[in-house]
Amino acid sequence: MSQPTEIHTLAGAYALDALTEIERAGFARHISECEACATEVAELSETASRLSAAAWEVPPSRMRDAVLAEVSHTRQVTGGKVERAVHGDVRRWRRWTAAAVAAGVVALGGMATVWVVQEQRVGDARQQAQQLRTDQARVNAVLAARDVRLRTADVPGGGKVTVAISPSLDDGVVLMSDLPAPPEGKAYQLWLIRESSPTSAGVMAAGQRTGTAVLDTVGSADTLGLTLEPVGGSPLPTMTPIAGVPLA
Amino acid sequence: MSARAGRGGDPGWREQPTARIAPVDSPPVGPDELLRQVARGDDQAFTALYDAIVPRVYGLARRVLRDPAQAEEVAQEALVEVWRTAARFDPAKGSATSWVLTITHRRAVDRVRAAQAGADRERRVAAASVETPYDDVVEEVTASLEQQQVRRCLKGLTDLQREAITLAYYDGYTYREVAEKLDTALPTIKTRMRDGLIRLRDCLGVSVA
Repeated sequence: MSQPTEIHTLAGAYALDALTEIERAGFARHISECEACATEVAELSETASRLSAAAWEVPPSRMRDAVLAEVSHTRQVTGGKVERAVHGDVRRWRRWTAAAVAAGVVALGGMATVWVVQEQRVGDARQQAQQLRTDQARVNAVLAARDVRLRTADVPGGGKVTVAISPSLDDGVVLMSDLPAPPEGKAYQLWLIRESSPTSAGVMAAGQRTGTAVLDTVGSADTLGLTLEPVGGSPLPTMTPIAGVPLA
Repeated sequence: MSARAGRGGDPGWREQPTARIAPVDSPPVGPDELLRQVARGDDQAFTALYDAIVPRVYGLARRVLRDPAQAEEVAQEALVEVWRTAARFDPAKGSATSWVLTITHRRAVDRVRAAQAGADRERRVAAASVETPYDDVVEEVTASLEQQQVRRCLKGLTDLQREAITLAYYDGYTYREVAEKLDTALPTIKTRMRDGLIRLRDCLGVSVA
């Protein structure tokens, strides 16, 4: 644990976006627990953005049509959705989200063969097959998107969790490979975490160690977490995540 | 203001080809209010916000990324994110303009760093050679009052404060990279970024409600 005064000297670097993602997450936690710091950071961020006045430039006119067209078919994150968050052990999650994040870029080449994570909402086999096709199409679209961003985290004990997000498609996928075998009666469950509040993003089948999951409403989450839960999944995580991928 | 054009006014007014322009009697709506309307799904408010703010968004992306095509992509992504996440804007934490620019800056910086981590490091080196002429062009543009104020306040910083802040903000370097570039100890750079911004804040008269 760093001294409060020491971490606070990062306020300027934070406001200038001059921190790495890990440091950014750590500092975000710091300001969530320190009201005076939050005020200073708000002021310094406001100040930093004034610097952009010196960079005023008119874009090509085609951009306007492109943005307005994209907006016309982009769903908005609603205020209600953001606040609907569940309150598990918020403090524990908050501490964890700051500590566990580690970012990187991986080649996806070796991850072509994948299983789609079982969705609880999917019932019969026909529906499942259809869902699989839709999901596979979404996975392909995301991986092929020009603006795809990749984030990955190692799982203690082996394997990797990779998240691919395309802001332009407003879509994301999670790829899990070679995770450690889950203990008897347990399955891997994914969580989208926004400001320490987890929402389930799918449960894997018992014993499943490799898979792909399509994420809905990625935009509202800052971290993807992985836990081991009783087979079938839990409404809220019953443990601190074993791995996390920062999404921001 | 007895000569307002509008509802009860001269019938000729409505027939003018410039009728798309807002009537002169509509109260000016600032970015903060526009963004609140955008959060409620108002696409006309988004268009108005776009028009008000796009030179700042694109200019910032261009400044950080240099490459016009990449700047256009990042500006576009940032503006769509503004539409998508407008409900998260919290006026207690700052202005709408700053919120939009923070989204833009973070995306631009992420893009620069991703490019650096990838194969095209040399892009950065090539870009460095256009730095001076580009700044000259910016300098020649009729400076707005705000631009002039920012420049004046930047001149009021120590050299180290100014260099640390501009390398981070305009070029997207992390504070570690800035420390390396300026051959200065890490704690000193952290401190100079913070006290430099504090001095800028006071010079610009920035406050957050």
